[in-house]
Amino acid sequence: MGDILRLVARRLGLGVVTLFVVSILIFFAVELLPGDIAEAVLGQSATQETVAAMREQLGLDRPAPVRYVEWLSGAVQGDFGVSLVSGERVSAAIGPRFRNTLFLAAYAAVIAVPLAIILGIIVALLRNTVFDRVANVLTLTSISSPEFFLGYILILYLSVKTSMFPAIASLSHGMSFGDLLYRSFLPALTLVLVVTAHMMRMTRAAIINLLASPYIEMARLKGVPPWKVIVRHALPNAWAPIINVVALNLAYLITGVVLVEVVFVYPGVGQLLVDAVSKRDFPVVQACCLIFAATFILLNLAADVGSILTNPRLRHPK
Amino acid sequence: MSYFVVGYYALLIGLSCLAAYYKQRTPFMLLFSLTLASFIMGIIGGVSALWTVTLAAGALALAAGTSYAFREFLVIILPRETAKEIKTAPLTASFGMFVIFTYAIAGIFAPIIAPHGESQVIASAFAPPDETMLLGADQLGRDMFSRIIFGARNSVGLALIATLLAFFMGAIGGLFAATKGGWFDQLLGRIADVIMSVPSLIFALLILSIFGTNLAVIVVVVAVIYSPRVFRLSRAVAGNVVVMDYIEAAKLRGEGTWYLIRREILPNSTAPLIAEFGLEFCFVFLLIAGLSFLGLGIQPPTADWGSMVRENATLISFGDMTPLIPAAAIALLTVSVNFVVDWMLYRSSGLKE
Repeated sequence: MGDILRLVARRLGLGVVTLFVVSILIFFAVELLPGDIAEAVLGQSATQETVAAMREQLGLDRPAPVRYVEWLSGAVQGDFGVSLVSGERVSAAIGPRFRNTLFLAAYAAVIAVPLAIILGIIVALLRNTVFDRVANVLTLTSISSPEFFLGYILILYLSVKTSMFPAIASLSHGMSFGDLLYRSFLPALTLVLVVTAHMMRMTRAAIINLLASPYIEMARLKGVPPWKVIVRHALPNAWAPIINVVALNLAYLITGVVLVEVVFVYPGVGQLLVDAVSKRDFPVVQACCLIFAATFILLNLAADVGSILTNPRLRHPK
Repeated sequence: MSYFVVGYYALLIGLSCLAAYYKQRTPFMLLFSLTLASFIMGIIGGVSALWTVTLAAGALALAAGTSYAFREFLVIILPRETAKEIKTAPLTASFGMFVIFTYAIAGIFAPIIAPHGESQVIASAFAPPDETMLLGADQLGRDMFSRIIFGARNSVGLALIATLLAFFMGAIGGLFAATKGGWFDQLLGRIADVIMSVPSLIFALLILSIFGTNLAVIVVVVAVIYSPRVFRLSRAVAGNVVVMDYIEAAKLRGEGTWYLIRREILPNSTAPLIAEFGLEFCFVFLLIAGLSFLGLGIQPPTADWGSMVRENATLISFGDMTPLIPAAAIALLTVSVNFVVDWMLYRSSGLKE
């Protein structure tokens, strides 16, 4: 047991280091600006005094490492500074939006994960048949299409032509849960389509890889019924790759969400990030990037820890 | 019950019976499951759903026919050695090659093919299609069709340049890391880890917010984001080659690192690298399309597929599909490249799963 704990602890430690390095990257990327933030935001026409005033206000006269430490300790406590454009607190703008984004991602994940795993296993069992080929082409198409293509197709067919679902996901505060699910159905479905395709392919590959191993053949040869081969012999070993696949795709979901939010005008962090990038509102950009990157890293971490826990072989490195 | 519906089911059931009679299991399963699926779709969607199925089947048959003919065409015009390999290509791969070929033609000869200029305003905004404009006008009254053709040049060209740069950086880094090893290898590996631990779109948005959106920045940023993938692959591939005896022999002969890479390692690791190039192109292309769609990629008035979708998106709420054509063009190209890459990977690995 001590072994596992040490391995997990080491992996967690590595994750913390990665997060730290990425936060440095995000903070100091802005320092690369030609000139500094004040000059970039105020533009060419700014007078010396206004630039100086803004520098003073942002505390730019102090050295960058000092500001970095302040920024990071603020960020850890959920304080990302003040927006350059609106003057509001960044955390106040991000808070509710982050909840919306999490809701959308969770909504898509709840549908996509079971669906993809079941379909992936079915396709793996039917490998090299027509269904497998068709599924291969369909999933490949879904992966290769940009998210906005799928999103607009869904809008065209499910919203404009048949008016079953709203094309614009306008959420307001006191909505009932059912209403919330209905309003955000199309964005969630778009994500489901993309993520399911990814996950199905990966599950299929993992299962096929497993079914090719000698002990499965042995089980078959000694006359174990096919369902029992899957449930008793293959599945216990398949958990590790499947957990890995799920976590990796949830990480993918986090980035896919940006484009989908823009297509459906969904009030989430992705939309905020895109707006902030075009307005060059650096504190907001940094905060959004940090949130997305941290979620991404944490999910990758979860994938690794999950596979360490479910695969005893990883606990004994050669 | 119209004649169409009766004929539709009669044809499907007749064909499945025929397939079953001649013991063709695969076509039978395909046809009969299509019949069963049509029952459900017909009940839900009515005759129009069946029409859609028919049209889709027709399109599929057309695509299959085209790719078959294109494969035969390639077999005839290419020299014998290459022709032999092309002959074994599945239809999906030759379909992919056909699409890539078409896009290349459209991109190279864009000014000749397109009836109007890229940013030439010739009609009122959102004018419907007529004899001069195949697909109507966009939000500023420019010819949609011409812009799509020019988009083949701009969007694909930019993605290609970015991919080449990413590939160049990643492959050189990977090959050097594999041959030199030591601290150099460690350093590059850690840098690659950091870049890959940030989601690509987020990374691109961060950098673009700082440097603004111009073409050079986009190319460099996208190349940097995707070079770690190539780096890891080429390092792994070269790592397998470096331990071979002939490398040892070359080293003893006193050859330098650059010679080793160029003459010994590279020729022995081309197959996986070429396949990776295709995959890499897909990622880069989709990322750039996404950025353009967000209004942060290729800037107007340059015709570009991603931004065209965004600019004309309002048409979709009127049930018009024209804005989807550029998006479909993006999807079609990535699918095609994937098809070809699939075949190449299959061939080079010799995997029979």
